[in-house]
Amino acid sequence: MDLRSLIDGLGINERKVLLALQQLSGEADIADIEGQTGLEHVAVMRAALNLEQRGLVRIKERRRSMAAITEEGRMYAKDGLPERRMLRALVELAPCTAEDAADRAGLPEEQLQISLGWLSRKGWAVFIKQAGRAMLAPTRAGEEALKEKRSDERLLEVLASGNVAEDELPEDLRLELDILKKRELAFVKEEVWRRLVLTELGERALALGIELVEEVSELTHELLASGRWREVRFRRYDVTAPGPPVYPGRVHPQQRVIDELREILLEMGFVEVKSNLVESEFWNFDALFQAQDHPAREIHDSLSLSRPERTKLPSSALVKRVAAAHERGVAGSTGWGYKFDIGISRRPVLCSQTTAATVRYLASHPKPPVKVLCIDRVYRHERIDYKHLAEFYQCEGIVMDRGLTLRDMLGYLKQIMVKLGFKKIRFMPSYFPYTEPSVQAQVYHEEKREWLEILGAGIFRPELLHPLGIRYPVLAWGIGLSRLIMARLGLEDIRDLFRNDLQWISSFVYTRGTRKESSS
Amino acid sequence: MPAITVSYRDLCGLLGKRIKLEPLKRSLLMMGIEAEATGDDLRLEVAHNRPDLLSAEGVARALKGFLGIEVGLPFYGLRSSGIVMRVDPSTRAVRPYAVGGVVEGVRLTDAAVAQLMQVQDKLHETLGRNRRRVAIGIHDLDKVRPPFRYTAVAPDGIKFVPLDMSRELTPAQILQEHPKGIEYAHILREFDRYPLIVDSNGDVLSMPPIINGELTRVTEGTNRLFIDVTGTDELAVNQALTILMTGFAERGFKLRSIVVRYPNRRIRVPNLRATRTRLNVRGANETIGLDLKPREAAEIMKRMRFGIVGKKGDNLTLLVPPYRTDVMHEVDLIEDLAVGYGYDKLKPASPRVVTVGERHPLEALSDMVRRALTGLGFMEVMTFTLTNPRTNFELMRAGGTAATIANPVSEEYTILRTWLLPSLMSVLKANRPHPLPQRVFEVGDLVLLDEDAETGARNVRRVAAAVIGDLGNFTYIKAVTEAVLRDLGIAHEIRPLDHPSFLEGRAAEVAADGRCLGMIGELHPEVILNFELGHPVAAFELDLPMG
Repeated sequence: MDLRSLIDGLGINERKVLLALQQLSGEADIADIEGQTGLEHVAVMRAALNLEQRGLVRIKERRRSMAAITEEGRMYAKDGLPERRMLRALVELAPCTAEDAADRAGLPEEQLQISLGWLSRKGWAVFIKQAGRAMLAPTRAGEEALKEKRSDERLLEVLASGNVAEDELPEDLRLELDILKKRELAFVKEEVWRRLVLTELGERALALGIELVEEVSELTHELLASGRWREVRFRRYDVTAPGPPVYPGRVHPQQRVIDELREILLEMGFVEVKSNLVESEFWNFDALFQAQDHPAREIHDSLSLSRPERTKLPSSALVKRVAAAHERGVAGSTGWGYKFDIGISRRPVLCSQTTAATVRYLASHPKPPVKVLCIDRVYRHERIDYKHLAEFYQCEGIVMDRGLTLRDMLGYLKQIMVKLGFKKIRFMPSYFPYTEPSVQAQVYHEEKREWLEILGAGIFRPELLHPLGIRYPVLAWGIGLSRLIMARLGLEDIRDLFRNDLQWISSFVYTRGTRKESSS
Repeated sequence: MPAITVSYRDLCGLLGKRIKLEPLKRSLLMMGIEAEATGDDLRLEVAHNRPDLLSAEGVARALKGFLGIEVGLPFYGLRSSGIVMRVDPSTRAVRPYAVGGVVEGVRLTDAAVAQLMQVQDKLHETLGRNRRRVAIGIHDLDKVRPPFRYTAVAPDGIKFVPLDMSRELTPAQILQEHPKGIEYAHILREFDRYPLIVDSNGDVLSMPPIINGELTRVTEGTNRLFIDVTGTDELAVNQALTILMTGFAERGFKLRSIVVRYPNRRIRVPNLRATRTRLNVRGANETIGLDLKPREAAEIMKRMRFGIVGKKGDNLTLLVPPYRTDVMHEVDLIEDLAVGYGYDKLKPASPRVVTVGERHPLEALSDMVRRALTGLGFMEVMTFTLTNPRTNFELMRAGGTAATIANPVSEEYTILRTWLLPSLMSVLKANRPHPLPQRVFEVGDLVLLDEDAETGARNVRRVAAAVIGDLGNFTYIKAVTEAVLRDLGIAHEIRPLDHPSFLEGRAAEVAADGRCLGMIGELHPEVILNFELGHPVAAFELDLPMG
């Protein structure tokens, strides 16, 4: 730190002390500095310590015996010693009794005894017999003593105006100190004496010039309103010092990926629909041409409900058409060849695929073009572990229009993945119960160096479309959202998606996928 | 997707050609089969609808076509074995269908045995619905004497030595003592007679769908196999037999048929005749987005192992191999055409359907709420809608009914939540180690039972927020609630509310247009302690009102 910034860092008291020390020729007692600056002892000491820390002054310490006055001593210093007050009374009344003299002197009873002892010891008065009574009379020495104070009284006066170092007392007074100590009018205590000495650095600082400006730590309304902010100096902060952390309110990281995906699909012109968390088996399975004895419908795959007990079915004409597609096929299909059970269709189930929602929409919007998206929770009969959840997000989209092809399907998938920031994409054949042809899209995860399966897609089977009265090709795709979110957030344990550790939510750094223009 | 393990060396042997691992994996991928190699083992994931790919033999057959090693319809020189199996009417109630076949010239290598066992297991799991629909038995034919009889016997009507046991047991004892008996007893439990296949001496071949007899155990010395397939679904039973038998043919074994005599009919099985069908190439081109000539399409379909027996204009007449049980409709052939053409060669087309995107109003509203609450320093959390009555009701000192899971996986998730506050309380509990105050919110769905709703229940989207610590007081949470409502432009009223979850005199109801939107309050000390928290909590929960 250079000298100028060292000086700038000085508070107002430190400046005052430094300047006072200069005026006191570079070395002075604390008390002198107090006198010079008008600061309290504590303030001077605090400033001195700060200055010493910065190397501008040195504090010299010395232990000394200090003579000080007691409360009784202070009283006598003001009113006079009891023996002197008696002497004054005696000179006027003598000879008289000790009591009369004490009355005249205004001495209380206990001081009378003290005064008699000292009058005798100092040889200022004697008792004489007169008419059989003991009368007190001043001596010649006593009369002499009225003219000037004795050295013990002078010492008392000195001490009354402040403590004095024992070794600084003149010879005659120093001898009296013992007597005053015995009379408990004075005492001696050890005191640390501090002197400030300007260092060479301090001298250079003074040579550079130190201004006397008031320093404040905070800008206040009062400072602004009064205009006094112009006169003060604001304490410089150590701006590099660490402070307590604060966090903004946050949207959950998982929600941010969902929002990102939704935005991409909205940009691509998809209309959003919501699903029913409790769905009928009719819409969740039957309408999707999933046979009623399909393994996905079994008790260990989806979550069925005991309450509500059953759902209502759509128009019986639609149910009949769907049943026919299952039993003997429609539109040139062989069908599944089993007996369709409407009781199974009525059973409620926790929505296991968002396709239930998109197909419902399709059934009520049979005219092209249609582009629908649904992002919602779906449920599976899974025990929760690091790879599985019983409840998670799925994102689904469908496109219906004249003349759509598998290559159009790939085009949509590619666009979505490119917008999500994935650069390497590949397609392969796949299987889904209600699409044919089907396709799976994988993206290359640069950090993990592996292909991730994130999209399943296909063209809806005619057995699904025909009963709904749809006469145009429908492209459908679904995103396993958990996997995408985990890849995006760098999570390894799927349970972290719903762990809700506030520390994680508040400090997570979210980076959006880098967009690249689609090349096709 | 079902997964199988095959030996890389065995697979190359079946192909009659050594193909390097990486190109092999790539070809498999383009057939829709994901492969992962560990040493000589290849783990293959195959599609649910392709049980014909559940063995090395089946995969090799498809690969031969895809790679052009052997194309067109596979030929099976099926001849009669002269063996008859009679189906007794007593089986009708328990397991009415039984078929079978004979395989000759068998030479079983270790790899072949492994595949034989695996395909049996996998067919049981998938097509067989864990043996309930279809069960398979494979026997050493030379240990027994045809003709065979498929019958049903009383649980203690016979004794025989089951596979992997050294003593004779009755069928009833097998269900109690044999590991497989215990595992599959549930399939037979409700019946008073159990299925059994016996030979002309009365020796037991098998007790479907549980276990074979020890007598017909297949060993490396076995020359001729007898296969039985029984079940409840005739189509599936025949499919399983066909897939098994045609698989053996890939190893060069000879296939022989048998005659099954049902009480009122007799059939020759397996039926390995190909099905004749039509593929319209123009339609296929329209679906895939290609411009293939019928001739090109025919070549591709041959590589997918279809037979071509006619070509007329845009129409091809195809023969579908008997093991392709997945073909229900022309679209299934179209997919094969696309696969044969190569998904890696299909050029993605730029999206061209023009529509106007539209955010769901509920999501738009949810976003507004998120902005308001994060602006007020709240952290968003996302919790499960699945919960349990204890968390949803009891810990909150509340009661009620909820949509209930009939087949819960664990006690923790047995109902769907009916409100959000218990979820937030659980989040606060989980975050006890972190500094206070904590401010959390969730915008989420819950489910309420509703007799008028189509599905008997309806989703409700709500927002809830909770504060724990010094700010956990009514004044603060009310200010937050009103800030959110103000942001949404909802004119509202605040009215006193008595609610068991909140401190008396410190709870309020929020109403708009005379409808209750939700509530605000300081949580009752008992509720706070129920969630093992040690500081005051204040919270609100509001419906997101639509329209």
